[in-house]
Amino acid sequence: MLKYIAKRVLVTIPVLIGVVFLIFVMLSVVPGDPLTVMMGEKIKVDVIERLSETMHLNDPWYIRFVWYLRDVVLHGDFGMSYKLMRSVSSLIANAFPKTLMLAVTAAVLSWIVGIPAGIVSAVRKNSLVDHLFMGFALCGVSIPAFSVGMLLQNIFNGILPVSGFASPIHLILPAMVLGWNAAGTIARLTRSSLLEVLEDDYIRTARAKGLAPLPVILGHALKNSLLPVITMMAIQISSLLSGAVITETLFSIPGIGRLTVDAINGRDMPLLQGTVIFTTTVIIAGNLVADILYSVVDPRIRVEGGK
Amino acid sequence: MKKYLSLLMAGVLAVSVLGGCSSAFDDGSSSSAAAGESGGAQTQAGTAAGGETSQAAGGSNGGAATKAAGSNVIHIPEHDEFRTLDCQKDTEFYVVPLNIYDRLVECEVVDGVATIVPSLAESWDISDDGLVYTFHLRSDVTFHNGNQFTADDVVYTVERMMNPATAAVNTDFFSMIKGANDMLEGQADGVEGVKALDDFTVEITLEVPFAPFLANLATPSCSIYNRAATEAAGDQFGIDPAVTVGTGPFKAADWVLNDRVTLVRYDDYFKGPAKIDGVELIQVPDENTQKLMYENGELDIVDLSSSTSQLAYFMGNDAYKDNLVTGPEAGNYFYAFNQDMAPTDDVRVRKAISMAIDRQTILDQMYSGAGHVVNSMLPDGVLGSYEAEEIPYDPDGAKALLAEAGYGDGCDLELYQKTNDPDALAINQVVQSMLSQVGINVTIKQMDEAAYLSERKEGKLGMTRAVWWADFNDPDNFLYTFFTEKNTKVRSLNHKNTDVYQWLEDGRKMVDEDERMELYKKIDMTMVQEEAAVFPLFQMDHVVVVQDWVKGFQIPWNGWTDTSYYNVSIER
Repeated sequence: MLKYIAKRVLVTIPVLIGVVFLIFVMLSVVPGDPLTVMMGEKIKVDVIERLSETMHLNDPWYIRFVWYLRDVVLHGDFGMSYKLMRSVSSLIANAFPKTLMLAVTAAVLSWIVGIPAGIVSAVRKNSLVDHLFMGFALCGVSIPAFSVGMLLQNIFNGILPVSGFASPIHLILPAMVLGWNAAGTIARLTRSSLLEVLEDDYIRTARAKGLAPLPVILGHALKNSLLPVITMMAIQISSLLSGAVITETLFSIPGIGRLTVDAINGRDMPLLQGTVIFTTTVIIAGNLVADILYSVVDPRIRVEGGK
Repeated sequence: MKKYLSLLMAGVLAVSVLGGCSSAFDDGSSSSAAAGESGGAQTQAGTAAGGETSQAAGGSNGGAATKAAGSNVIHIPEHDEFRTLDCQKDTEFYVVPLNIYDRLVECEVVDGVATIVPSLAESWDISDDGLVYTFHLRSDVTFHNGNQFTADDVVYTVERMMNPATAAVNTDFFSMIKGANDMLEGQADGVEGVKALDDFTVEITLEVPFAPFLANLATPSCSIYNRAATEAAGDQFGIDPAVTVGTGPFKAADWVLNDRVTLVRYDDYFKGPAKIDGVELIQVPDENTQKLMYENGELDIVDLSSSTSQLAYFMGNDAYKDNLVTGPEAGNYFYAFNQDMAPTDDVRVRKAISMAIDRQTILDQMYSGAGHVVNSMLPDGVLGSYEAEEIPYDPDGAKALLAEAGYGDGCDLELYQKTNDPDALAINQVVQSMLSQVGINVTIKQMDEAAYLSERKEGKLGMTRAVWWADFNDPDNFLYTFFTEKNTKVRSLNHKNTDVYQWLEDGRKMVDEDERMELYKKIDMTMVQEEAAVFPLFQMDHVVVVQDWVKGFQIPWNGWTDTSYYNVSIER
């Protein structure tokens, strides 16, 4: 197991270098430089020419790529953000707790709502409750976050805070937006997976030996049907942790998502590279945790050696 | 064993969440604590507000935003995070500099006219040749750290701007001073033209006469810094509020990144303390959220001219009739033509486009008539503005001109804009349909802001809707910015009139005011009426909605969003 984890961790290194390489190539192709964006209407050519030189913006991208790798690997220095004039690592360290809080609240909310809804729907297949829950789930999956967000803001305006991140209360609305979407996926997955398991022979055996329906479902069927759900949960958490751009903007939450968007819009290369490295790491870690959990829940699956 | 492992992982997750929880909200509570120290941000939280608001405030334990009601602090929304509070290094965000620093002189509206008034300088003398400015400084001014303001601070401010190590972006505001460019290019250790004659007299000598120099000194970029504090702060000046020191009516108290900047009153301000305890500048990028927060009483002042999507809602709602504060903007909206690209390389086509656009209708339909149509680059209220000849709305005349130019069967035109500019999109779509009436087939090209600006800098952007607001009250600020040889390319205008290039340089050096204004009128008429290098649209009224309890708020002379809140008070 440890060997497996070590291997997976080592594999992430070339992935990260590849991702940073791609960012460098893409930003060198796309027009725009941070100084021109920063000065906007007040553009002054002399100033841009002078500062481009001191900021090494005129160097070719591959040279900057090599310098960047050197700084990161040798000094652990992710550089300074052009736009926010602070070290990239401090900006990410500052934004991540907010995104983490939001992601975890949304995820927990989606599990509390999604899993029971999925179970009930599967057990009462094709009943009114099933249709109701699945309709709700479908809406969660398909309505875009910005419209759900604005809807909730208008409904709860004056009752709950609609903007900012000063207290746990501020989390409720944005967590509902993200949680509804995640709950929809979880509920649908729980339902379909549980339905599949309920058809299995061993369930029929359990029923045949006279067990009550509830112990059969909770004790026998549910455990096996949760496998894909757990994988999905881990993947969802890692994508939530990489920042919910629209939700964070709508509710003015200073998280990773907003930082990334600002970095792209401002052609803020160091900040963008930093957030991309960070979110890539989080997603890889999320997938790794999912794989490990998988083997914990289902001992038949062995991660070692790919057997 | 596996069960214990999963329990352990769950435990780790829970602990990290709790850890994340406390560190995530620490910031918020420290910001409200800072406001609390200022005396009153937290007092009576939520008591004076409507029941619903106080309910929300009561339930939160650190929500400075929900505690707006009842405090003596004003809350203002901001669209975008500030880069730095150091206005030598930023060209965009001036609201904090306008409130925490002072300039030698200020531009204020006196009897309806924008006038240069004394500030840190009590009075000044200008030599007859327009080269030497002697400023007599006030002796009763202190910086927020207690240091007295002296002539040396002025010398320091200029030299810091021109020091290459500062990497300042506003060097052009001091570059006309003798020897300033030498320092910028690393050929001198100081600026020859700035001398402290004694503690309270400073003499500034210019390289060549620069008529708008005083007006130029009133811009936020020319804010005066304290030598001791700024040198000690190093690269944290403008970043760490604790070391960002000025002489202004408010002190920078706290900055929670992407959340809020808190300013608190400076009690020893030399013009007397402000009437409010402080200002909170809150990041609310979404305009609909700004509206909701205003209606909740969480925001005190919302600038509708920068949140244009909410303009119609507030202007069309009788309940807000008495809450709107308006004033003219010292700036124009206009269309800019690229003379290097067909079909706008032909003056007849440019004139035809101008004649085919019905500006009054656009103004009435899109902007609730909040402004007026203009025919010059120099808006009313700015020095040198004059009654320009009207550019007629004449679709038939436009068709005739197009036929004359060889486009009798119509032509294609590309109209460029940024993707994140719904305001430009709305007007561009109307113009698209108006131009189709005369046979011009317009394609609207939307580009990401960075790409747009970079193409424009190279002179490669086609026709665009542009805006310019005055930095300082002088025609030079409008005409030099767009029509010199270098700037006309950077703005993607590419006009070729070499006389105008020369006149713009001459205008800067002229000392006789009347002669100078005549010259700028000539430049403006040449560029707008004769060559149709640009097509002026409107001068807009700046519209701001303020809560009933906010008193004394005025639109500044230039109609900017960024303004000083020194004269604002709260009366409930």
